[in-house]
Amino acid sequence: MTAAIDLEGITLRYSQRRVLDGLSLTVEPGEVLALLGPSGSGKTSVLRILLGFATPEAGAVRLSGEVASDAGRLLVPPEERGLAVVFQDLALWPHLSVARNLAFGLQSKGVPRPERDARIQAILERVGLGGQGHRPPGQLSGGERQRVAIARALVLEPRAVLLDEPLSNLDVGLKRELLSIFRHLLKERRTTALYVTHDLREAGALGDRIAVIEQGRVVQEGTLESLRANPSSSFVRGLLDDFAWAGTVPGNF
Amino acid sequence: MAEAVGRALKRALLRRQQMLVLAAAGAIVLLTSAVPLARLLSEIFDAGAAALGVLSAVRPWLLLIRSVMLAAAVTACAVAIGAPLGLLIARTDLPGRRALWMLHAFPMFLPPFLLALGWFQLVGREGFLGSEVTDRLLFSQVGLVAVLSLTFSPVVTSMVALALLGMDASLEEAARVFAGPWRVGTRILLPAARPTLALAAIVVFALTISELGVPMFLRVDVFPAAVFARLGGIQYAPGEAFALVLPLMPLALGLLLLERRLVGAGSFAVAGLRGMSRAPIPLGNWRPALATASWSVAVAGALPLVALALRAARGGGFGNLPQWIGQAPWTSLGTAVIAATAIAAVGLVLGHGAARGVRGASLLDAMAVLAFVTPAPVLGVGLIAVWNRPATRALYASAAILVIGYTARYAVVGIRAVASVVLQSAVHLEEAAAAAGARFWRRLIRIILPVNLRGVAAGWLLAVVFCLRDFETAVLYYPPGGEPLPVRIFTLEANGPPPVVAALAVAHALMTALVLVAGVLLLPRRSPE
Repeated sequence: MTAAIDLEGITLRYSQRRVLDGLSLTVEPGEVLALLGPSGSGKTSVLRILLGFATPEAGAVRLSGEVASDAGRLLVPPEERGLAVVFQDLALWPHLSVARNLAFGLQSKGVPRPERDARIQAILERVGLGGQGHRPPGQLSGGERQRVAIARALVLEPRAVLLDEPLSNLDVGLKRELLSIFRHLLKERRTTALYVTHDLREAGALGDRIAVIEQGRVVQEGTLESLRANPSSSFVRGLLDDFAWAGTVPGNF
Repeated sequence: MAEAVGRALKRALLRRQQMLVLAAAGAIVLLTSAVPLARLLSEIFDAGAAALGVLSAVRPWLLLIRSVMLAAAVTACAVAIGAPLGLLIARTDLPGRRALWMLHAFPMFLPPFLLALGWFQLVGREGFLGSEVTDRLLFSQVGLVAVLSLTFSPVVTSMVALALLGMDASLEEAARVFAGPWRVGTRILLPAARPTLALAAIVVFALTISELGVPMFLRVDVFPAAVFARLGGIQYAPGEAFALVLPLMPLALGLLLLERRLVGAGSFAVAGLRGMSRAPIPLGNWRPALATASWSVAVAGALPLVALALRAARGGGFGNLPQWIGQAPWTSLGTAVIAATAIAAVGLVLGHGAARGVRGASLLDAMAVLAFVTPAPVLGVGLIAVWNRPATRALYASAAILVIGYTARYAVVGIRAVASVVLQSAVHLEEAAAAAGARFWRRLIRIILPVNLRGVAAGWLLAVVFCLRDFETAVLYYPPGGEPLPVRIFTLEANGPPPVVAALAVAHALMTALVLVAGVLLLPRRSPE
């Protein structure tokens, strides 16, 4: 089966500093892969390369087999990649209501109005925001804004959803609730997702697999259990130990 | 086959949408400013040795040195007044600082010679407070420096105040924990505003070196007046005018290089839009003295307007206004609004591009800066060289030439206003739209414009006011019978009834005030959050 996302030998530099160093990664269709790593490890750069906002110096990006970027060349621009993204700051367009936030991408893709309205209504109901479409994002609570952001991504029925630490600023209770919603939404729609996080608990709760990134390279991939059973390096062991020390059980929020 | 080629072509064009939109905006900047400057060089070459001979005389060079020295003196005085006043207004508990700022800033939105006219009504020989001594002082280089310093110091004040209002509060608060207000002001706040201060100084220098109305009115011989004299009147010699602008070109390039070196990317971060909500630094015992000094400066700047209004009222100037004013206000307003709209559109594309580091946008921004810092006669003469030819005579003889000239000179206002607000908005808003499938044009209209509407509208308003106050470029090429209001006032000043001239000046000030008030009222309250 062709991988939904395939990064092969990606190298990226920002002003002489090597941010990604021959990174390779695949995400199968319908799979949720959590990309786990500390700050500065290159997680967000992976997302930017996938979205087409950065072009790798070397290596190739394939989306469902189509080469989107290849060694310094951007072959498919961001708006044609068929991806959706949830940023850490959510990036809800402040001048558009909730419904218009959701409609924007559908209009860009030329989805006819009746279908558009139906899809928006359905996804809003699904995330518990039925009847809230007229509200501006500025009037929503933190949790509601998160739901709008994920709904805005999923309503496009994208090739894959990329999530860039969307829950990092929330309290544990809200995080647990939203992780549950995210997981159900992604699984029931069989949506491919790449979830970027520095939090092992989030990675364990959402990811089918976890890829650990260190200094621009994926150093270990596998399920949470396999990582715990057989950490490949002191770095991975350290990540696991941090959570053990904090008295939390990874994967069980 | 043809259908497939058409599809491929459409796809290629769609993919290059941003580049094409940028190219269109860039074409406007290049056509209005770069082409005239380039054309000027070839005209100078064509003018031949005879015309260039004017540069072999000593007098033009002495005039140039005098102009540069006067501009330097005005810049130094404006910075000396504006920097502390900007700090006091933005970050201290100075009484009535909002009103003070408005009163102090207003004169900078007027053609400077209007204020010189006001000073003449006040301290000229027959002025309300005038005598032989004050008259002699006014009609001298000292008078010129004083008038222009008071006129342009609000540029420095406002830019410094905006920069300090936009500054991260924590920088100041971290220092206030262990340092007094004086130390915080001089060691933290003013140094933080240094790039803005440098930009303000460059703007004041450029405005002064371009200034034509005030030196001509106060009978101080300066270099731009020598260029102007050769484009009309008894000294008519256009070839020599082309030759005379030659030394001004390196000066403009020097200012551009200075702007790039001293200010760089910091020049975009001048328009903080956070308001005065932060707790001000208490002035303590210094408050009464500093308040007196600050209000004195603001009142002094506005006094000439009071003098003009009094002169107009006492001499029946307002009653005679209708028969003298003609179409000039409508020409001014109409061309200013059209040019400002073009400037805002160009500013949206190039300002966004420059702030987001889009290839080519910085170069076009530099071109716009060059057009602004280029002494006005250079740009004016260049525009004449490009547009005053049979093929474009219809445009040249209409109000369109004013729109072209304004757009050339003030495009930078729109670019910088938009760039400063785009830098303050999250890039993710645009990236999320791109990821959702929106191409550049759609992102520009549906996301970038609404999110940055306040900055675009502020840029538009500022551009309208800059166009309204323009005299020094428009006077060189205004169409016959279609002069804007500042040009009409200046031409009437020589032989019109003084009360009517004063009334026209007051009418201009009122028109500007109305535009500003309407603009501020209509400006979106704040960017959506």
